[in-house]
Amino acid sequence: MLVNAYSKRIFNMAFQFSGSYEEAEDLTQEIFLKLYNSLSKYNFEKNFSAWFLTLTRNHLIDQYRKTKWEKKIRDDFNEYSLVSDTFTSPEEGILKEESKKLIWEGFNHLSSEIRMAVILRDIQGKRYDEIAEIMSLPLGTVKSRVNRGRLQLAKILKEKKEDKNGM
Amino acid sequence: MVCKGIEELLSPYLEDELNPEEKLAVEEHLKTCQICADLFSFMKETKESLADFPELDVSENLINQLYSIPSKKKRFKLSLDFLVRPSLQPIFTAATILLIMISFYIFHPNKNLIDKSIDRQIHLGFSKIGRLYAKAESFTYSLAEYKDNILVSIKNVKFFRENEE
Repeated sequence: MLVNAYSKRIFNMAFQFSGSYEEAEDLTQEIFLKLYNSLSKYNFEKNFSAWFLTLTRNHLIDQYRKTKWEKKIRDDFNEYSLVSDTFTSPEEGILKEESKKLIWEGFNHLSSEIRMAVILRDIQGKRYDEIAEIMSLPLGTVKSRVNRGRLQLAKILKEKKEDKNGM
Repeated sequence: MVCKGIEELLSPYLEDELNPEEKLAVEEHLKTCQICADLFSFMKETKESLADFPELDVSENLINQLYSIPSKKKRFKLSLDFLVRPSLQPIFTAATILLIMISFYIFHPNKNLIDKSIDRQIHLGFSKIGRLYAKAESFTYSLAEYKDNILVSIKNVKFFRENEE
């Protein structure tokens, strides 16, 4: 039951955070193993999803600190997903995909805490109070991390696009 | 307001979380500063792109592996749990060193030479012990011989004589 309900969410979070499909599969297994080991510590008064996502976030950040994935190149996410074709023109589609690719690669330049905050807010669409609970941080800190992450990604996108246009 | 201050307000402005004064300040600044206006448009594009990131499906292989975790864990507990006890670590270390020494002896190309040298060392050890034992015995005999003399000399020491008196 837990696997059905959470595997997709956890795997996607691990993939978005690490940028590697294989690494995300290994991380998902490690997280579920950790979950089974810590179920006895779960307090039934707490929200299970938030508790499990906190466990996931802690594991991902711990592993990031140990292995430093930022040195690696992120997988091309188009390899694993079908590109949506809802664009008004093919040119628009190409430009949007290009921006997406640059932003995806830009994640490697964000610190682990900022990266996690941006993933939870902008990719997974969580509310700020939910993120604060998952990350065990005050609401103001979460907002400031999301702001900093967006600003860094926007600057990376701007720089890379200007470099391309300049060439 | 300078660009640095405006940069920090761009994200809350994007989410419509600013108070009316701050909102007005940002809007006024964006009208006059092309750099910040560009940055804001890139931030908007970033936010939209992130929201459009696809959610991947989990492979069947991973699902199967996730389902097998509890049983895997149980088996591990039954069979191997005792191996990870810290109290057994010195024993495992000693056993490993012993095994390395034994394998070194067994697989050494000049095993005969090692055998001979071990033999020699054992014999040398035995003869040393024999000599030591003989020396100890002769010392015991000589002590027995001089025992009476020694006792008399001790009794004649001034200190003991004074005590007797």
